[in-house]
Amino acid sequence: MPSLRTRIAVNGIGAVGGFGCGVNDLEKSLSDRVCQPGKVEIISGEGVIELPVFNAETQRLESYVPKRALRRVDHFSRIAVLGGYLALEDAGYAETSSGNMGIVVASGYGAAQTTFGFLDTIIEAGDGCASPTFFSNSVHNAAAAQLSIFSRATGPNITISQFEMSVPSALVTACQLLAEKMVDFVLFGGVDEYCSVLGYCRHRLFPNEKPEGMAPLHLNQQSAIVGEGSAFFLLSRPEDSISPYCFITNIIFGNLRCEDVSLPPEAFLILGADGHKCCGRHYAEQIPCGSRVAVYANLYGSLPIGPAFDMAIAALSLKSGEIFGVPRQAGENPKWQVIHHGEKLNREPIYCVKFNENGDFGFIALERE
Amino acid sequence: MSYRSFLPVTGVGCICAAGDNLSTCMKSFFGKGSHPKPPSRFTGDHPVQYPVFEVPEEISLWGGGRKQEVFRTTQLAMTSAQEAISDAGLSKKELRDRRIGVCIGTTVGSAMNNEAFYREFRKGLRPDMKPILKFLNSNPAQVIADEFGLTGPRQTVVNACSSGTDAIGLGALWIRAGICDAVIAGGADELSRITYNGFISLMITDDSPCKPFDRYRRGLNLGEGAAVLILESDESRRIRNHPAQAVLLGYGASCDAYHLTAPDPEGKGLKRAIAAALKENNITTDRIAFVNVHGTGTHDNDRVESKVLNELLPEIPFFSTKGYTGHTLGAAGAIEAAFTIACLQAGEIPVSAGFNIPDPDLPARPVNERTLVTGDVGISESLGFGGNNAVLVFGKCRL
Repeated sequence: MPSLRTRIAVNGIGAVGGFGCGVNDLEKSLSDRVCQPGKVEIISGEGVIELPVFNAETQRLESYVPKRALRRVDHFSRIAVLGGYLALEDAGYAETSSGNMGIVVASGYGAAQTTFGFLDTIIEAGDGCASPTFFSNSVHNAAAAQLSIFSRATGPNITISQFEMSVPSALVTACQLLAEKMVDFVLFGGVDEYCSVLGYCRHRLFPNEKPEGMAPLHLNQQSAIVGEGSAFFLLSRPEDSISPYCFITNIIFGNLRCEDVSLPPEAFLILGADGHKCCGRHYAEQIPCGSRVAVYANLYGSLPIGPAFDMAIAALSLKSGEIFGVPRQAGENPKWQVIHHGEKLNREPIYCVKFNENGDFGFIALERE
Repeated sequence: MSYRSFLPVTGVGCICAAGDNLSTCMKSFFGKGSHPKPPSRFTGDHPVQYPVFEVPEEISLWGGGRKQEVFRTTQLAMTSAQEAISDAGLSKKELRDRRIGVCIGTTVGSAMNNEAFYREFRKGLRPDMKPILKFLNSNPAQVIADEFGLTGPRQTVVNACSSGTDAIGLGALWIRAGICDAVIAGGADELSRITYNGFISLMITDDSPCKPFDRYRRGLNLGEGAAVLILESDESRRIRNHPAQAVLLGYGASCDAYHLTAPDPEGKGLKRAIAAALKENNITTDRIAFVNVHGTGTHDNDRVESKVLNELLPEIPFFSTKGYTGHTLGAAGAIEAAFTIACLQAGEIPVSAGFNIPDPDLPARPVNERTLVTGDVGISESLGFGGNNAVLVFGKCRL
């Protein structure tokens, strides 16, 4: 399997999602083992559709950035900027030399709301009244750009969009920028937002078979609930680390058509299963019997950058030395040792495992030492 | 000439309004050139028509029976990838057996914004889902990798106007990391009514052919196209005993951290990116033959580039090719990288199309005639929305 063996320190974590905002909120939802989605209504050709959604709130951003400075920053960028600020704060990063920091952002769908908001201005008022503000905010790299403007990071600024493989793919880039010493720090993360079109498309293409809730471990049932949010990390080479949570040691990627999957038997696996049965079958077929596994998508929902949340949870586990139990509604799967209650983590690595419908896979290995 | 680090470029493919392959494009630059026209595949209700550089309809793109399933951007990417792979002499078996990655830059190619679908959705109707499925099936790096059965990493870079340049630079890092033996790296973007209206709304488009660096420049013309380079480790190239077209000597990238759409007027980010790209092999200015600039024809961009080039690389000839191709957004950096390689091989650069009357406010001016160049190094630079600056340095080197 192609892979990038590396050793990159995770110094700070910032996470925003349905569970709340920041590491403390994420840890609380992990301890409580529950996160309730909100509800949205979509008016469609089938009438009013009510959908559960894990929404992200960004009010807290105003404690970092004056409200006036945010007036032209859309929800997508706000989620990212908040995640970035939280990660920098968590790392205790002092803005001493902004040229030393690069930014790498992964996003599956980009600024979806603003993209359709731009179309609204055209449809409602004609081509000549298209909004330049909406247009400039709708480009996929707008969030990364806003992050650089607010954090004054002048290193390389890269945005990657590879649907469910966006996070592992972008992480390779982030690690390489550090390995090549192009920068000393990288603010790396994933961000995706909900919009009504996305919700409608999910409803049409993947009708929910489990209205009672998301059950990612029931791999042959469609139970995905859309989520939005961001998870950011301040990464560095080990020698520049600031009291790191853990280290990223390997990023493995490939496609099942070309090769079989091989995972270390001692590793604890966080599965990126998020209630999509088209992807679920790959977990069922590829993860060996008896593997120690957990899934946490019930806490943040189904979104392309889900692996970034799994990375955050892995880092928290490695720092605390304890694996969090799966959320209450995650379901069961007798093939594996599913961690339902907190368990001690020994020295084994944690692998965040993600498959997409196409059979592409991305695994991110994290270790304490 | 020995370099501390280099990557052979063993194949190049290019398609744009100037031609359906690199050789035809170059003949056009040194010949009659190409000219923008009103868009033929979509309309707008602006009081004036803004001309664009379309790839002619008569050019057959990759796709066959799959053309209805994938974006035009992806078809353009595949078409140029096929040319590059053929140029590199890579067989189907070699493509499957070697570790080959794909890194493609795009803007339009990753956008879920089908207007017809959205109009129906807004009206509360039940729109056909085909446009959404088309979007999900069109990730250019994914399609190229799947089509050729490639086993290396794949990545779509969405860095606005510097996407193509960044994709090539990032793909090179994979080979240096030992992740793969070769990378299909480049950029692709199609003309779209959405981006057409978007750029017009920003008031940076010209309703006549663009005039980069000209005193009377009024903005850019949009274009479409794709270009792909085959970057390969020298070990892999030697095993295959295949010559290189050029060598990649450096990649520099930075962000202005200044504004969402306008570049830093002092060009500090661009200077850092150029310095970083040259530093990799300690390239000195006496070796630089030319600079292929971003040169969009907007007041801000051309002012910044002129200032920076005057400060860092005075006396080095430079030119913009956007007067031949339009601004192809995510494809631009890759197309211009292809042209940089071709110009190095030719030992000459074309007229900077559209430039006629010098702007007294710009301290540096592009070439206004076909120019023979000495030096064995060419620079290609891109500036993008979000304040991105990306620079590639190529060496003229027959391996």
